Amino acid sequence: MIRITDFSFRYREGAAPAVSGVSLAIGRGEFVGVTGAAGSGKSTLAYAMNGIVPHCYPGDFYGSVEVDGMDTCEAALTDVSCVVGSVCQDVESQFVTSVVEDEVLYGLENFAVPRGEIESRLTRALADMGIADLRERAIASLSGGQKQKVAIASVLALRPKVLVLDEPTAELDPASSLSVFDLLARYARQHGTAVVVVEQKIALLARYADALVVMEEGRIRFADAPAAVLSHDEELVRIGVGCPRSTTLVNRLRAAGVCSGRAARTVREACDVVKEAVA
Amino acid sequence: MIEFKDVRASYERSLPILKGVSFAIRDGEFVAFAGTNGAGKSTAMRLVNGLLKPDAGEVLIDGVPTTALRTSELARRVGFLFQNPDRQICCSTVREELLFGFRALGAADADAEARVDAVIEEFGFAPDDDPFLLNRGARQLLALASVAVLEPSVLVLDEPTTGLDFRECEKVMGIVRGIHARGATVVMVCHDMEVVADYAKRCIVMSDGRVVADGPVFEVLRDHAVLGRASLVPPQIVDISLVLAAESPRLAGTPVARANTVEEMVEAVAAEAGRAGAGAGEVAGEAGVAAAGGAAGEGARRGHCASVRASKSRRVP
Repeated sequence: MIRITDFSFRYREGAAPAVSGVSLAIGRGEFVGVTGAAGSGKSTLAYAMNGIVPHCYPGDFYGSVEVDGMDTCEAALTDVSCVVGSVCQDVESQFVTSVVEDEVLYGLENFAVPRGEIESRLTRALADMGIADLRERAIASLSGGQKQKVAIASVLALRPKVLVLDEPTAELDPASSLSVFDLLARYARQHGTAVVVVEQKIALLARYADALVVMEEGRIRFADAPAAVLSHDEELVRIGVGCPRSTTLVNRLRAAGVCSGRAARTVREACDVVKEAVA
Repeated sequence: MIEFKDVRASYERSLPILKGVSFAIRDGEFVAFAGTNGAGKSTAMRLVNGLLKPDAGEVLIDGVPTTALRTSELARRVGFLFQNPDRQICCSTVREELLFGFRALGAADADAEARVDAVIEEFGFAPDDDPFLLNRGARQLLALASVAVLEPSVLVLDEPTTGLDFRECEKVMGIVRGIHARGATVVMVCHDMEVVADYAKRCIVMSDGRVVADGPVFEVLRDHAVLGRASLVPPQIVDISLVLAAESPRLAGTPVARANTVEEMVEAVAAEAGRAGAGAGEVAGEAGVAAAGGAAGEGARRGHCASVRASKSRRVP
């Protein structure tokens, strides 16, 4: 669904490339988490998938980024947008209306979704995000987390083939963050949607993502199953990526000779390791 | 001392946000506010520094209602770090930004200049940098520094670590801890329960405009009823200890079931396992080899990509 080949990009004002020599393939229905320290190139990589780079941020673009067979550099941004649904880091920058219902309707109407489908898609998207009660609220009156849910609902309603979300849960409470990730993982499986989430919350990525991509200084440092990536805990910390406490705990127990085996990604896995160790 | 006495507040009268909130925070405390999106946490913070006045009830700072204090008087006592640093950065250089608060208070004297220089040194800023060209983490640090330089007795932080990476988060919170250690009262809204557990001593939980729990941080974070009601998830080590206590009767009364930190849990598990420290190097070595061969999901390829072949350069206007 997404094929990135030897992709590099230097912003026009940038002294050095933001992304260098990145190659990655993401299939239908796959949920991929992208993480890394600030300035590691993860947002630029996301921008290349949804066409914002180079269409909105000019610069030197090398290699190719294809989404559903479409070259995002060659295609018009409107065509890319029909395939890729995006949620920006700063959700305020993507709102175009002032009321929650209008915001979701805006995309549905502009994508010429048949009139008979609009109400059901609107209702479903708001319900999925747990904000059905906010339907008639002014966006300006919402909290940061509620606004973030509106932005995600607006994109989910469009049912794109690819979802690219840049820190979609940054302002959400912990349970809402969990439910958004749960929803995205289910959405990927049920609809065959390729979901790419740029995120600092590595505990959530480790629990839900099929694969974890860790960026360092514009390059991919690790791209593998979460458990395999998290086994490099010391290296991750060195490059500015924290590990979930479950992972740190099991790695410390392993270092102390209390247990052995693979790194734990989740609370559940860590509990199983501890139970085995004390059995 | 910060006191809320049955405070009700709203942005539109028809839409109450705080529905009768009471608490008292003593000087020198480090208190975290947690809870559901829209619970009223940020609204409570805006009441502390007088950005918002209560519809009913009283907010008192050192016994004086905020309604009786001028904004400048409140600003001297209460420093406020917004969730988004771009909401408070307004000058064209780092140095000017740090001096801005003193100028606004009419106190930009030689002493202020010296304090700004000291903060530039402490934070490692380049004084002539343009704040708007700094990355997100550096802008957050600058916003924090511009508040800290005024040495307020109360520091209010609204989601200070949102959008920051691991290192930036540690740096920002390390500085906050230092400010607290120097005697300031710190009040912080935070959704990251690991940060709450690592730094706060007391946690006030809000839901639907009301306080639903208030107590020592780990007591609150171990209360499943409170966590469920306020859409919270316990920090992972607390969660692990709660799950183990529930699932394993043998561990229920042991230190494993009470551990709050990684260190406490390692020690408790090692003691239970009765073989702490044995064979650590050997096992760790095996783990490294095992991890190197992990398989990605469909198509996701291992990193260390080939160097760029500039075969297809496209300069986009």
